[in-house]
Amino acid sequence: MEGNREIKEFRKIIHIDMDAFFASVEQLDNPELKGKAIAVGGSKERGVVAAASYEARKYGVHSAMPSKIAKAKCPHLIFVKGRHDRYKEVSNQIMEIFKAYTDLIEPLSLDEAYLDVTYNKKNIRSAIKIAQLIRKDILEKTRLTASAGVSFNKFLAKTASDLDKPDGLSVILPDEAIDFMKELKIEKFHGVGKATAKRMHENGIFKGEDLMKLSRKELIQKFGKAGKHYHNIITANDQRAVVNNRIRKSIGAERTFSEDIHQAEEYFEKLRLVHQKLMQRIERVGRKGRTLTLKIKYHDFEVRSRSRTLDFYTKDEQLIWELAVDLLQNPAWPEKSVRLLGLSLSQLDIKEKPKNGQLTLDF
Amino acid sequence: MRFIVSSSSLLKQLQNISGVLNTNNSLPILDHFLFEISENKILVTASDLETTISTSIEVEAKEEGTIAIPARLLLDTLKSLPDQPLTFTIEEDENFGIEISSDYGKYRLSGQSGDEFPKTPEVEAPSTLEVPGELLFNAIEKTIFASGNDELRPVMSGVFFQLTDEGLIFVATDAHKLVKYERSDVSAKKSADFIMPKKPLNLLKNILSSMDDQVNIEYNDTNAAFKFDNISLVCRLIDGKYPNYEAVIPKENPNVLSISRTALLGSIKRVSIFSSKTTHQVRLKMSGSELQISAEDADFNNEANERLTCQYEGEDMSIGFNSRFLIEMLSNLDTEEVNIAMSAPNRAGILTPATGNDENEKVLMLVMPVMLNN
Repeated sequence: MEGNREIKEFRKIIHIDMDAFFASVEQLDNPELKGKAIAVGGSKERGVVAAASYEARKYGVHSAMPSKIAKAKCPHLIFVKGRHDRYKEVSNQIMEIFKAYTDLIEPLSLDEAYLDVTYNKKNIRSAIKIAQLIRKDILEKTRLTASAGVSFNKFLAKTASDLDKPDGLSVILPDEAIDFMKELKIEKFHGVGKATAKRMHENGIFKGEDLMKLSRKELIQKFGKAGKHYHNIITANDQRAVVNNRIRKSIGAERTFSEDIHQAEEYFEKLRLVHQKLMQRIERVGRKGRTLTLKIKYHDFEVRSRSRTLDFYTKDEQLIWELAVDLLQNPAWPEKSVRLLGLSLSQLDIKEKPKNGQLTLDF
Repeated sequence: MRFIVSSSSLLKQLQNISGVLNTNNSLPILDHFLFEISENKILVTASDLETTISTSIEVEAKEEGTIAIPARLLLDTLKSLPDQPLTFTIEEDENFGIEISSDYGKYRLSGQSGDEFPKTPEVEAPSTLEVPGELLFNAIEKTIFASGNDELRPVMSGVFFQLTDEGLIFVATDAHKLVKYERSDVSAKKSADFIMPKKPLNLLKNILSSMDDQVNIEYNDTNAAFKFDNISLVCRLIDGKYPNYEAVIPKENPNVLSISRTALLGSIKRVSIFSSKTTHQVRLKMSGSELQISAEDADFNNEANERLTCQYEGEDMSIGFNSRFLIEMLSNLDTEEVNIAMSAPNRAGILTPATGNDENEKVLMLVMPVMLNN
């Protein structure tokens, strides 16, 4: 039945991930840091590491780790102050390189982006070849290394870029995708965080092949909307497009306190500060939202979030404050002393609504 | 400076104009009502700089003077008092102390200098037009819901007033829906057009809902003033060119559905409960004398189907609309029967009242479809 096989057009997606980006930029600009274990950010007593060099990672230091723990793991760790403007500048250089190949670029952050090169400006058929060229261009222009993953959907491209890091290039071809995912630990799947992983483990799901045994229906029953996404991924049917302007999904602000708090008046005082910051950002972005989420990080780093969704969009300062206060007290006051409070507004109204099928008058 | 005023008549007048007050003003003086006292009369003004509205109240007063009184404090006080005469005593020193005495006791608050309050703008070299309050009320009510909220296209956030020697036309659109309201019983000597912002229109609508005086409209290129009874509202107009709305109203619409307005509205309200939460799409399928209304939400496997009898002339067709738009439009009409004229599933539907319409009044509501993906 060979002749009957459907010929499917596969997309060509590249995921580029700069290696230890912030730390590498610091080592590039300050040669005396080269080859040393450094951490960017988090020099303060209660700060967290924003990025760690590979030398530091050997000791188990990673981003988002509290500085105290990082220092304990790696006593000779050098803390460097972050220079966001400089990273932005380098990031722009890299973006220019991408643009020479395609306009379909979806930056995820300063150091990471998806590229759709199915049709590209240089008419190169091989996405692997393009990934090699991009890595070479980046090295020449910035003297920094990047890792690349090449595949036919976003999830597999991103997973691939992680396989041979740093300074590597990996490819997952359509024929290999299913076999590859069978062996993949579920923690590595897009959208599976710690909590979901735990629930999956409880359900006897540890590797991709365990997920494959479940039907779409079973996945939706077990994991709700996300189940649909897992099913798409596991059947190599991740159709998410590379979109060049990432749409903002939430507006948030948070604050880590110099000392843990646990008194009502302290909560109000600190929440007020976070609220003010949030309102400033909402004002700057100029959007309204429907869901307010309160994030609470306890002194032991356990994180909880509470949220409320309205049936209308708002950016009303008083209303958001009242909701925030309500979330703080209900269902109960935080049971342990608190290290960080955060507020975020999501389910934002979309200014230019790409309304599904809604036609517009042609003015 | 002293004056005596009835608490309930003062409250009523202040509530007419308090809608202009913003909750967080950049200028603290805008949180105040300006009281301008002259013999046996006070003029009270509220402003957000874009819109300034004044009302005059009869009082017992002997002296003249001005004072800015904190608006919220005054409103809250008046709301909690049963009707009675109140005596306002204002100290003419730099503290602008105000004492209000009621039957129950005395309340003290501090105001600001009346000179701080922004001057009410004059409409210079205006054209004028007189319209019945009821006409203006209807024109606002029928159109304002269709105006947009897009800050990027400010002209569409208002209502377009088009004054001609044949009549008056009021238009609002957000690019998905459009309402054109025409009156032939009043005309302007000189043709003119301008775009009125939503906020002053809502204020006018609220005040006019309870009175029916002749409204005197003065306008020039930048401002408009509306004066009636004891009220005077001056606002800045929206600057810019209104889109050419006539060009988007299709002329050839061979498929015409005639149906009971309330039956259609009821059906759409029920069916739309089962529609997609993002598109709110309902589907109208016309064949012969039957209208089928359906909706589905694929995410939850919800669906609804209803059938209505109707009069339909034209080819069988299916067309999708945002149910919320249809509900707003049908609720805003008041005739028993309505017509919906259509040409194709990707062209606008045009909703008009079918029967019992005032011959001086013409309403056209246009709604763009939501494409059906079968």
